[in-house]
Amino acid sequence: MTPEHSRAGASGDTTRFDPGLARDRTALAWTRSALSMLAIGTLIARAAFEADLDALAVIAAVATLALALLTWRQGNALYRDRAVDGSQPHHQPGALGFLVSVTLLIAFVALVVTVLI
Amino acid sequence: MPSGQSTAGDSDESAAPRSRGWLASPAQRERELEETGTEPDPRFTWANERTFLAWNRTALALIAAGLAAAQFLNLSPHGLRLIVAVPLIVLGGVLALASYVHWEDSERAIRLQRPLHYSWMPRVLTGGIVIIALCGGILAIIDRIVH
Repeated sequence: MTPEHSRAGASGDTTRFDPGLARDRTALAWTRSALSMLAIGTLIARAAFEADLDALAVIAAVATLALALLTWRQGNALYRDRAVDGSQPHHQPGALGFLVSVTLLIAFVALVVTVLI
Repeated sequence: MPSGQSTAGDSDESAAPRSRGWLASPAQRERELEETGTEPDPRFTWANERTFLAWNRTALALIAAGLAAAQFLNLSPHGLRLIVAVPLIVLGGVLALASYVHWEDSERAIRLQRPLHYSWMPRVLTGGIVIIALCGGILAIIDRIVH
């Protein structure tokens, strides 16, 4: 990371900016997060079935699948719109906060299911 | 996190969002954060985001470990497995929340060209895992001796 690059990003001089593989690494990180979400979805669904909470199991499975898709899309959003020229980081206000809320919800459901097994 | 209060000169935006605190929604907080300071090199923002995501996955892994412990541990009073499962899930929840606070703190520091703060999360993660592993080990040994 050269100082020249930092200045290019800050001053809005987009032509010289090369994000390198940083964007790809970030998109892959979102993909890994989506996969983690899928894994935890199957674990919750399995635990819920074991606790005879079949409805909760189905809801948890469908919900985590949908959330995993959303998470994966968030990574792909890095390649769209104003993020394309690399002059500005992609800002999807609330995306990270949303992911945290989802994680806390998952923790809560996991706690309930764990106690009920 | 007093980082927002002492900005005085360089940014007029940074003090206002702080005062609204946790009442503001995450989207609102992040939109206000975008107004703070200057636009950094996107790679710094992305690196911060990746760190957040890594912590979030760690939190998810802890929750998954808790769920697995609840399902697969076979201790004789059935409730004993909660001693291992519940702390794992709670630790996951705490780290998930803390990772967001730390992301926000780092993002603000990057935008205001300030030094980054170290996080207490590695310490809590290490301590938590050690304590839970000890509890699990002791439980397993006692379970083996009694039955």
